[in-house]
Amino acid sequence: MNQQTNPKAVTEKRMFSRETTVSLNIEAHPSIVWALLTHASDIPRWNSTVVSLTGEIKEGGAIELKSTLDEKRVFKLKVKEFVPEKRLVWGDGMGSRVYSLDKKSNGVLFSMSEKIGGPLFPLFAKMIPSFDRSFEQFAADLKKEAETIQGSKK
Amino acid sequence: MTTDKLTPEFEIFQGELKSFILRMTASVQDAEDIVQETYIKAHAKLNTFRGESSLKTWVFSIASNLARDLLRSKKRWPETVTDICREESLGNPQFFQEALQIRQTSPQGNFEIKEHIALCFTCVSKSLPLEQQLALLLKEVYGFSMKEIASILNQTEAMVKYYLHTSRSRMIEVFDQRCSLINKQGICHQCTELNGIFNPKQKVQEELVKIEMAKDAENKSKEELFDLRMKILQELDPFESGAAELQLHHLEYNRQVMEKYLGE
Repeated sequence: MNQQTNPKAVTEKRMFSRETTVSLNIEAHPSIVWALLTHASDIPRWNSTVVSLTGEIKEGGAIELKSTLDEKRVFKLKVKEFVPEKRLVWGDGMGSRVYSLDKKSNGVLFSMSEKIGGPLFPLFAKMIPSFDRSFEQFAADLKKEAETIQGSKK
Repeated sequence: MTTDKLTPEFEIFQGELKSFILRMTASVQDAEDIVQETYIKAHAKLNTFRGESSLKTWVFSIASNLARDLLRSKKRWPETVTDICREESLGNPQFFQEALQIRQTSPQGNFEIKEHIALCFTCVSKSLPLEQQLALLLKEVYGFSMKEIASILNQTEAMVKYYLHTSRSRMIEVFDQRCSLINKQGICHQCTELNGIFNPKQKVQEELVKIEMAKDAENKSKEELFDLRMKILQELDPFESGAAELQLHHLEYNRQVMEKYLGE
């Protein structure tokens, strides 16, 4: 098992935008990590930061996401890029979430980043909670589930 | 491999193949049609069989593709399928009249709770995505290896692991929340209710004592209880058991109810 179990998220703040990134190594086949990221109905089972997720994660697909960051709000998102086992991007008019997988000899380097911003960003920046802990939890959950599946004999 | 060898080898696992397709489609007619079509395809494509897998794996691959073609356009059943069908049957006296007649007259008309557990799994597992349902049945009920399932589904072994892990996790949770045999908070008592209808003189506890899963419910983990559920399926042939006709009548009814419910 990979020892990097507590990934650290990094947030870069600018006047008109904010970007949070987290990355970690996952000792599992890229197809397992990709399947976990793209089978929408299964995501709430393993991902403790997602309350619900409906729709289809595919090229051009639309999804509705409820996150633990704000359980009362439903994020309506479009899948903007879908490159199997490499890159997934979804988002709305305010920002985009980018997932990338970089194949390594013992698994994958998983990275997730989200950039939000725009001309009015300074007005509501303080109302948007930090993504850091949620990102760290997401990455840790993904790593745990993918490595469990990779190691399963059943 | 020659045609002369195909037929006797096919006959050895034909029963397993038919029960596998029945558990995928929940339709006796579809199971019979697909088994027949599988044989015809295997016969026609025999020159492409290179022996890289066993004949059984190769034939199951053909049958799985046919089942996928049939089921791809159909909607998955809801996890609450047994509740929906129960409600529907309560308003349909014909269902019970037919079932009681089978119970009284057919040599395959017994009612045993373990047979109903198998039928219940067939219905509830149809709530899984198709690839997950296929992988789960192939591994847990029909004993294929990861490598063989990867060959049957034309997927990587990593993806088969994903399908198996996800489908097992999902089914374990569904049954833990629903089945009163393994969880006292479970809301579904259908198997014991039907036991009261079809075996009115037999006490439920006597019947349950025969089922390891019910006896061990308090001592075993959810995963172990799921394995015991799978063991019941492994040991039952839905076409040959002493309850076959009664259970197939029930399955056919559930399928018709689901088709109506899903607008198919």
